[in-house]
Amino acid sequence: MSATRFRFPQSTRIWRHRTAAAGRRLPRDERGLPIPHVDVVVRDAYISRLGEHYHNTLQDDLMYMTYQHEFGPRGPARIIRPRFDLNDPYAKNRHNPPVGGNRVGRKIAPPTTADNVVRLERIQIHTMIKDAIHSRQNLLGAIILLRQLSGQTERGGGVYGQEGVQIVKARKSVAGWTRPGLPLGAKVDIKGPEMWEFLGTLTEFVLPRLRDFNGFLLPNPSANMKTPAAVSGVYSFGLPPAAMGLFPQVEVNLDAYPKSYGMHIHFVTNAEGFGAQNKVRALLSGYGFPFARKDISSRVVIPEVSLAKHNRSVPLFPDTR
Amino acid sequence: MVTALVTATSSLVSRHAPRLSRHLVTSTAVAASALTPEPSPPRRARQVDHSKTLIRTAIILNRSPIITRAPTSFERAFFNYQERIRRAFHNPFPYDFYFKPGSILESKFTLEERERERRIFYRGFGADSKYAPKSKLTPEELEKFGTEDGTVMSRKHASDRKGDAKSLDRKGQRNLYLLLSQGEGSEATWRFPEGDLGEEEFLHEAAKRNMYAECGTNVDTWIVSPRPIGHYDVPSSTPPAGQKRGPKTVVFFLKAHIMSGQVHPTNATDFAWLTKEEIGERLQTDKQYWDGVKDMLSDF
Repeated sequence: MSATRFRFPQSTRIWRHRTAAAGRRLPRDERGLPIPHVDVVVRDAYISRLGEHYHNTLQDDLMYMTYQHEFGPRGPARIIRPRFDLNDPYAKNRHNPPVGGNRVGRKIAPPTTADNVVRLERIQIHTMIKDAIHSRQNLLGAIILLRQLSGQTERGGGVYGQEGVQIVKARKSVAGWTRPGLPLGAKVDIKGPEMWEFLGTLTEFVLPRLRDFNGFLLPNPSANMKTPAAVSGVYSFGLPPAAMGLFPQVEVNLDAYPKSYGMHIHFVTNAEGFGAQNKVRALLSGYGFPFARKDISSRVVIPEVSLAKHNRSVPLFPDTR
Repeated sequence: MVTALVTATSSLVSRHAPRLSRHLVTSTAVAASALTPEPSPPRRARQVDHSKTLIRTAIILNRSPIITRAPTSFERAFFNYQERIRRAFHNPFPYDFYFKPGSILESKFTLEERERERRIFYRGFGADSKYAPKSKLTPEELEKFGTEDGTVMSRKHASDRKGDAKSLDRKGQRNLYLLLSQGEGSEATWRFPEGDLGEEEFLHEAAKRNMYAECGTNVDTWIVSPRPIGHYDVPSSTPPAGQKRGPKTVVFFLKAHIMSGQVHPTNATDFAWLTKEEIGERLQTDKQYWDGVKDMLSDF
């Protein structure tokens, strides 16, 4: 065949030329991986259902539910305790302690605006493995579990800043138990579409199938609203080891895991100040999180997938008139 | 008789008035006092002033989107590009952990993965390359173990094809709002369900009462917040005889979601579940009302 005499069309020749240029050897990073000659920025690869649900429905509703009317702009904030003047050469680079103690709960929420409507920023899953004290190999199962739940690996898919599953090491020395630097657990931060996937899995597959679970208990109406936990924008709860097998991505090969692991899950939001915890509950309730009052805890609260998810929200913001 | 009733309720109002109606006269008080030609209020009774404001409540009954919206063609191209980057940079997949070697599930996954790679890149790359894991079974052999039968439902409901504006299943990707009409044909005027605020009544209570009165009780709804999401100043009509101005009327709008059921209008002649643009078309004749309400509705 006279392949050498074959004349490529113009477009094909351009294609060949570009392939040759891209085929040049790229510089390598410290891990031996090629460094692309452009900055690769990775964004979402699909429309996530719960993310859309937030933008279409929840954001508006939460704005109306949590709105506090204020007359005019606020005055200057009261200075609780003199703080370091950072321009003072003495104070520069010194530890500037945050306000603590019972003053934490007295921090008022920022004025309600369209920009600071409560929203989920990330989910952190954390698990501590006691067996890791004896052998750090016992951490492997938990690491694989977190990787499977979050779908995240270090810089996976070229997403810079994605840290994947991280080992948690002991910070304090406890006689006969731990010493600083001893690996004791694993954690993973989930953001973006994977965060919505995890949230959807939790509310639609795991919590409805959890035995003897009536919903997350709401605090007593007379409970103190000024504790550090009540003014925190982070909602935390634990799942027992039995819940691990209810995640569909774990269910398919549950026998591959050496044992079952429980986990702590933290929902980190932008809410802050007085009433922050209630705002987070309202937000999670909009995603179908079951909440139950203490007096009706014997009643089974069944999460359902209904026309509108926010149906089940309890009146978290009773009218204060 | 009517005067005595007004007096009794007015004295109650002065003690336990809801916040919003504390400084405002409610419509029933005005209506009742209008019946009395010579009002002679006792000392503690409230003076009825026609120049003051009448309050009405309206409800914006919303059906949230029930399906995720379809991406635009630009978004589809963008997502495809991002997917390609993600696949090119993905970390190695531990096949040996997730699948028993040679299992049916492994073959199924490998074949599906090959299809996905071909869709994102092109044939001969990724899962088609010589480095990719090979499937032990062919697609024909896999079919012997059964296939997942499931049909993808259409994103358009039958009511979309028929143009049935009363169906709650229409336009699943969009926010729909309930509009009621008075009058027939081209004479029809469209409004959100509306009613007046009673004595000793909160806005959200009045809104709920009016909603059931207008839409029937066959609706399962949830009022999002006791706070109104907006208001509309009704342009004042001709004042009553002997008065300079008529009472100013303000309509406060509350947002609610419909969970189940359907509207059976009692007073209105017709109803429709409409998107924002469709509402704009129906309110073309009443530009002022449309300008008052359009910012309370979701664009999508």
